[in-house]
Amino acid sequence: MDCKHLSEIVFLFFDNELEEEARRSVLEHLDGCPGCAREMDHTRRFFILVRQRCVRQSAPDHLRLRILTSFPHRQRTA
Amino acid sequence: MLSASRGEGTQEIGWDFEALAMPYVDALYNTAYRMTRNAEDAEDLVQETYLKAYRYYDKFEEGTNLKAWLFKIMKNTFINNYRRQQQAPPQSDFAEIEESFETSVSKEATGQIKSPEEELLETVLDEHVQRALDELPADYRMVVLLADLEGFSYKEIAEILEVPVGTVMSRLYRGRRLLEAAMLHYAQGRGYLKSGDQPHKMRSRASSGEASGKQASEVKEFSEPA
Repeated sequence: MDCKHLSEIVFLFFDNELEEEARRSVLEHLDGCPGCAREMDHTRRFFILVRQRCVRQSAPDHLRLRILTSFPHRQRTA
Repeated sequence: MLSASRGEGTQEIGWDFEALAMPYVDALYNTAYRMTRNAEDAEDLVQETYLKAYRYYDKFEEGTNLKAWLFKIMKNTFINNYRRQQQAPPQSDFAEIEESFETSVSKEATGQIKSPEEELLETVLDEHVQRALDELPADYRMVVLLADLEGFSYKEIAEILEVPVGTVMSRLYRGRRLLEAAMLHYAQGRGYLKSGDQPHKMRSRASSGEASGKQASEVKEFSEPA
């Protein structure tokens, strides 16, 4: 695996979309390539930003109630 | 279709549906909120998604992925009801962001090492992440939300969006790169940041460059840098 190929599949690596063999050759390449290792670390930090610091909106209670009361099976037992 | 004429069995299916589908209401709402960018539309979108899913629940193949099925219904509802009305946010800086993104891609392609971004990532705040995500063009925003917030696999996203896996991959690639460029853009103090801050936008390119004609909603298919 060369640096260019690694840069093309870096997201697949983080998304767990690589076969075991490809995953291993990424790790092998990183062992011997500080430049790519730095790039991987950068990408990892980017994912942490997006996945952990993005505020999730919970469905408001009145929406849950509105959905539940719209279900026909509930209307008949009410 | 679940209809009253089917009587008792239908009642049971209704309760089953509710028990299996309602746990996804937060995930659906979060995605709906980020796609419509307001609570009222998000609520209507999720409500309509559940009504349609209830109505067509007999079309759902048992043992397959209910969460992905619900998201697919919501995606179709979103496209039908909201997509056409969606406007780029008026204050969007995306023309400028896309332009600087193109520059960084061509630098990467010529082997130039990028490094200032690495330190800059440290300066990104939650609000920069929110803002950058909210302003990402809709097609990219959708794949990023499905992959990074909901954790769907490429195959699941392809099923939800009804596009090939290759399209999912290229949209994710470009979407994430654009998202990162936008986060850094806001973290560097360009564009509007915190409410209360003095806006000090840099619009130098917008008046003279080709970027001025670009709409943030305009989605180009990603092509690999040569």
